[in-house]
Amino acid sequence: MDQQTDITRILSEAAAGRRQASEELLPLVYEELRRLAAARMAQEHSGHTLQATALVHEAWVRLTGGEGQKWANRAHFFAAASEAMRRVLIENARRKARLKHGGNLLRTEFEGLDLAVASPDEMILLVDEALEHFKLVDPEKEKIVVMKFFGGLTNQEVAESLGVTERTVERQWAYAKAWLFREIRKEQ
Amino acid sequence: MTIQEQEESLFEAARQLTGAARAAFLEQACAAQPDLRQSVESLLGAEPGAENFFKTATAPPGDLVRFLATETELNGTARKNGDGNGISEGLGTRIGNYKLLQKIGEGGCGVVYMAEQEKPIRRRVALKIIKLGMDTKSVIARFEAERQALAMMDHPNIARVYDAGATETGRPYFVMELVRGIKVTDYADQNHLDTRYRLDLFIQICQAIQHAHQKGIIHRDIKPSNILVTLHDGVPVPKVIDFGIAKAIEVRLTEKTLFTGYEQMIGTPAYMSPEQAEMSGLDVDTRSDIYSLGVLLYELLTGRTPFDPKKLLQHGLDEMRRTLREREPQRPSTMVTTLQGEELTVVAESHGAEAPKLISTLRGDLDWIVMKSLEKDRRRRYETANGLAMDIERYLHNEPVIARPPSRLYRFQKLVRRNKVVFGAAAVVLLVLLAGMSTSTWLLFREREARQQAVDAEKKEIELRQQAELREKITQLTLLVSQEKYQEANDLLGKVVFTQPTLEGAAVMRSLGEWQVRRGNVKEAADCFTQLLQVDAFDGWDVDTIDYLECGPVLLELGDKGQYEHFRHEAISRYAGTTYPVADRIVKVSLLLPADGKTLESLEPLAAMTLQTFTTADSGQQADTFRAAWQCISLALMEYRSGHYTQAAGWCRKCLDYPEYNAPRAATAQVILAMACWKLHESAESQAQLALARKAIEAKFAAGLDHGSAPSGFWFDWVFAKVLFQEAAAMTGNGSSS
Repeated sequence: MDQQTDITRILSEAAAGRRQASEELLPLVYEELRRLAAARMAQEHSGHTLQATALVHEAWVRLTGGEGQKWANRAHFFAAASEAMRRVLIENARRKARLKHGGNLLRTEFEGLDLAVASPDEMILLVDEALEHFKLVDPEKEKIVVMKFFGGLTNQEVAESLGVTERTVERQWAYAKAWLFREIRKEQ
Repeated sequence: MTIQEQEESLFEAARQLTGAARAAFLEQACAAQPDLRQSVESLLGAEPGAENFFKTATAPPGDLVRFLATETELNGTARKNGDGNGISEGLGTRIGNYKLLQKIGEGGCGVVYMAEQEKPIRRRVALKIIKLGMDTKSVIARFEAERQALAMMDHPNIARVYDAGATETGRPYFVMELVRGIKVTDYADQNHLDTRYRLDLFIQICQAIQHAHQKGIIHRDIKPSNILVTLHDGVPVPKVIDFGIAKAIEVRLTEKTLFTGYEQMIGTPAYMSPEQAEMSGLDVDTRSDIYSLGVLLYELLTGRTPFDPKKLLQHGLDEMRRTLREREPQRPSTMVTTLQGEELTVVAESHGAEAPKLISTLRGDLDWIVMKSLEKDRRRRYETANGLAMDIERYLHNEPVIARPPSRLYRFQKLVRRNKVVFGAAAVVLLVLLAGMSTSTWLLFREREARQQAVDAEKKEIELRQQAELREKITQLTLLVSQEKYQEANDLLGKVVFTQPTLEGAAVMRSLGEWQVRRGNVKEAADCFTQLLQVDAFDGWDVDTIDYLECGPVLLELGDKGQYEHFRHEAISRYAGTTYPVADRIVKVSLLLPADGKTLESLEPLAAMTLQTFTTADSGQQADTFRAAWQCISLALMEYRSGHYTQAAGWCRKCLDYPEYNAPRAATAQVILAMACWKLHESAESQAQLALARKAIEAKFAAGLDHGSAPSGFWFDWVFAKVLFQEAAAMTGNGSSS
């Protein structure tokens, strides 16, 4: 398929470190995820059993043909997919929070949020904010967080795409969680 | 290992342990670092809570799919065709009263669209909105700050803010004047604007920045792409359009911030002031904008930025900081001068002028105005954008400008320190030199005045300009030499011909000549010294006779006997009839080679003078045995060349008798003595003396020549000794050393 070669090219460029390619990748992946999601929803109205990661895998196969791709390309794809999912989650969480808190523009309403009674949506927003700080300190681990927390990928899946061992992922994810939670509590 | 890496590995290790074992481990591992320990412990403490938290925070599985599926309806179509960010508004989307028409730009956190406003009036505007998914707290705050900053300003050269708001999903945007134009640098080049015209545009930009400063806004990202030129009724108007990082939002500038994937680069390296690159941005004030204005001016005038942006980014943050902080950029005129062929033609063309004309326009006041804006020390820059603008106005009206090159007195002082020996003994000499210095400075100001008045015939003006340029070059040379940058000075020297006598010129030639000697480039050294002698330096005294002393031996080292003979002839005729303290030196330097009867005859008066002054120096009230000892050498040599060997030997012995030891002088005396003895058939004595001299000379040259000093002997004293030694060795059949 044309699209297949197209995205393979973009993936290779992204893996080679070209920023523009990474930027091109995101909308492509996003688009694919959306289409798949919409298609699934049309089939199963309840949506209970749908896992987002299943979508990601399906998108991967559809876009690249699956096997035979370099692991570096995989890494970029899954990172992009996780990032897409992050944005979607954040958008929605914000919308809900705004409805709840009265629709102000700025995010100052999130200060003074009581951790004990925060809803999952609000928690997501707190994580997102702490993650911004974490990225300045350790951009490598930030990727792991995005993939695990927003992308919902398993340790094995993350390990495979980043080309490291599962043990490494587990270790770094544990560290990141502790760091982020400490950071979140600090802001309270 | 960085602190963070330590923290990480300690955390990993400690979390495997429990209770007492954990405590003990931490105790040991964090022995002298209580901060580290506390940090690790806080992480460990956060761990259980974190587990729970993250489990709860994870969205229910089906949610995400639902969100994805429904995204379409809420936020406009996501574009597939590489729309930069991609997840953005589709065309035709409405936001408030505005209909998006076309994306026209994109920055780190915002996108700019051209939009059509419908109510209350119909017009085209620019709409800037935060990128989807970018609305973190810090980014929103920055966006809001930009909007407020722009709203506060009211100036014809700053894009106006009309409106602000937020989408249904809460993404903030604001609406600005649509500036249809191109980058100021492009505009200038495409229209082949000459320097005056560019300066005119630049002054308006300064006024805009001044306005912003008065409102308390520091722009922080002044660069050509943020300043567009648009046409109002056919008149070009520059407009500042992006205050995107205005005001102090604290962002730590680290290696990672600059280069991480989704980078939000704060500032542009080629335009960043040294203090901006250095710190967190807390200590940056309006003068940082002045620096960036300086860079902009530089680029407008030369087509280049002072530092190559690619090179700045090449070697990492630290290297970039160091460059901005320490490396002195080339002056605009120099920058253009160093351009080659094609590049030079392009630049000249863009300025609607010929290259030489452009260079001479830049040279002088414009150079200094730019450099003053680019000072590393911000206290030395212009205080205000207005100050910069006014200096340019003054330049345009041929009035004196404030900007000046670094003070000449400062440079002269360094020169004196460096050449203390030459300026050395007599305070009289120093005063004389100072007087000479002020004269040349005074002349320079006079020349400026003449230029300003523009009354004189153009011919006179050109002449004066040439003099100034020559002086400037000499000053540049002087500075380089005083900084011991000899190679650069030498390169710069090129084919400078001294049409005018200047002390600085003389000093430069001398220093360069000595440097060449030290490097063993005798030919080049000889060139310098001969040039030096051409400079009709200040009359009399120590200064230029030492030049002769330096030049003579070097010429012989070079093996150029013809030149030497010419040289000695000149020296003698020049100094015929002079008195103390010069006579003996001329005698000495003129007798490095055997002399014919005529030459000896012409030296007679000088020799007689030497004898006379020797008597005075040797004893009595004004005894100066140091001088006396040297005069012995001159007299010995004179006697030797005249064939009076016994007398010659006598003088040598007398010289060696003096208590104050001076190595090269002693060696010289020994050499002459050796030769005299040889002629008197006292071969044993001759050999002995020669051996002593050889030892000293060989040792000195093996160790390397340095500048030397009066008591220990100057380098030219050694060369002098060496030349004579070679003659002696050859004569006595002893084969010479190096």
